[in-house]
Amino acid sequence: MTQTVQAVWGGVLFGSVYGLMALGLTLVWGAVRLLNLAHGALFVVGAYAAYWVTSSLHLPILVALPIGVLAAAGFAYAMHMAFIRPVLGKPGFDNSTLIATVGISIAVSAAALLIFNPQYKVVPPVLTGNFILAGVQITNQGLLVIGASLALFAAVYAYLTYTRHGMAIRAVSQQQEAASLMSIPVERTYGLVIAISGGLAGVAGVLLSPFFFLSPNSGFNPMIQALIVTIFGGLGSIRGALVAGFVLGIFESFVEVFYGVAWAQPGVFLLIIVMLIVRPNGLFGIGEVRRL
Amino acid sequence: MLEVKSLVAGYAGSEVLHGIDLVVEDGEGVVVLGPNGHGKTTLLRAITGLLPPRSGAVFLEGREITRWRADVIAAAGIVHIPQGDLLFPEMTVLENLLMGAYHRPTWSERNRRLERVYDLFPWLKDRGSQLARTLSGGERRMLALGRGLMAKAKVMLIDEPSLGLAPLTTQQIYASIRQVKEAGMAILLADENANHVAGLADRVYLLETGVLVREGPADQLLKDKALLESYLG
Repeated sequence: MTQTVQAVWGGVLFGSVYGLMALGLTLVWGAVRLLNLAHGALFVVGAYAAYWVTSSLHLPILVALPIGVLAAAGFAYAMHMAFIRPVLGKPGFDNSTLIATVGISIAVSAAALLIFNPQYKVVPPVLTGNFILAGVQITNQGLLVIGASLALFAAVYAYLTYTRHGMAIRAVSQQQEAASLMSIPVERTYGLVIAISGGLAGVAGVLLSPFFFLSPNSGFNPMIQALIVTIFGGLGSIRGALVAGFVLGIFESFVEVFYGVAWAQPGVFLLIIVMLIVRPNGLFGIGEVRRL
Repeated sequence: MLEVKSLVAGYAGSEVLHGIDLVVEDGEGVVVLGPNGHGKTTLLRAITGLLPPRSGAVFLEGREITRWRADVIAAAGIVHIPQGDLLFPEMTVLENLLMGAYHRPTWSERNRRLERVYDLFPWLKDRGSQLARTLSGGERRMLALGRGLMAKAKVMLIDEPSLGLAPLTTQQIYASIRQVKEAGMAILLADENANHVAGLADRVYLLETGVLVREGPADQLLKDKALLESYLG
């Protein structure tokens, strides 16, 4: 019983974390067809901004959270203006953005090292305390992460479905020429998507860092996991990111609890390989043709 | 309203339009007739900024708009119903229509404008939640037209609205366009069939290999069967 509760709790927590990171990644892929390998760097930017606000300015984490999110969104937008926008629609877009985003990741790690030194940092949790449920320790911050992740999924979905700008994002991703004939500014819309995605990575960075220690490379693992989740769920699918996040999170957690940590990663990859053989476009894959 | 002066445009390596001069007055129905592949689509795309012209100039209400971005030109009031409809395939009928009203000043009037479009194509109202990609060819054309009508247009550019449609649907489409024109809209329509545009065209240009070779009032030019035959075959 305790083991099962432990597995479910861990799985739902991992799952919501994976989903949150994957959401931004899949959003940018779906709208811009950009595989943003700097997504982990945006996580780090958000986390360090929050760390700086709490440790140097001595402000509460509730102030640091929105600042971290804005920093990550702003950084993402700057990245768009400097490296993505100039190559939009040009031949070689895929290669140049892939290299640019890897370069940005490396630059952000190096900058974090220079500015903050290599020591591990502690970002305070928004909620402290915990309680015991069926012998399993449930942290309030964990519950917050799960709630925030689900709320952000709902918010992004509603934004894309019901608002003028959100619909414009889908319009641009589905038929760029027609979108510009509807007076939708295509490049600015791409910038908006990338900034939103950055903000989501920032939320993840600030809320997750209390579970681990923050270091310049902290964004790497979450990004790899987000990539896996995104591919599993189907690149460009928001529903896929949500479902795949929880499926992989819970699967990994169960394997870990019942077969040991050593089997968790191999088990996840085995599941993914099998899934991709059965459904090459992912769980909810929209393939090359269909868009967001 | 719309004025095009010595417009030259083309694609990499090939010039398609070799100096086009053209005028559309307020409320006027102007038709550019020409066979396929002679530059009708290129002309419309060059005017609306989808294909930046190489030289020449475009004026809207006396203001030069040459080489403006397509979305800025659209916001200035040129609505372009493109060839192939270019609907948003994974969006619903209603969402497609709403995107036509994206421009902020129009967006606040979107419900009123929806009613106007529903007056013209009532079926759009009942099928609002259907995905655009599941529509038939004729339905797509009507949705493309309706989406264009959601915007506040000063002039509408319509690219060969009969393309790929059955005769009955074609008639229906042109009847709707005539209705829009009779409500006072200036229209520049590209077509390859002179029979379609009777009652819609006030003036006609003949386009041949990227040059406007003839221009005249529709009631004269459209009656000159020998002339039309020699150009359109």
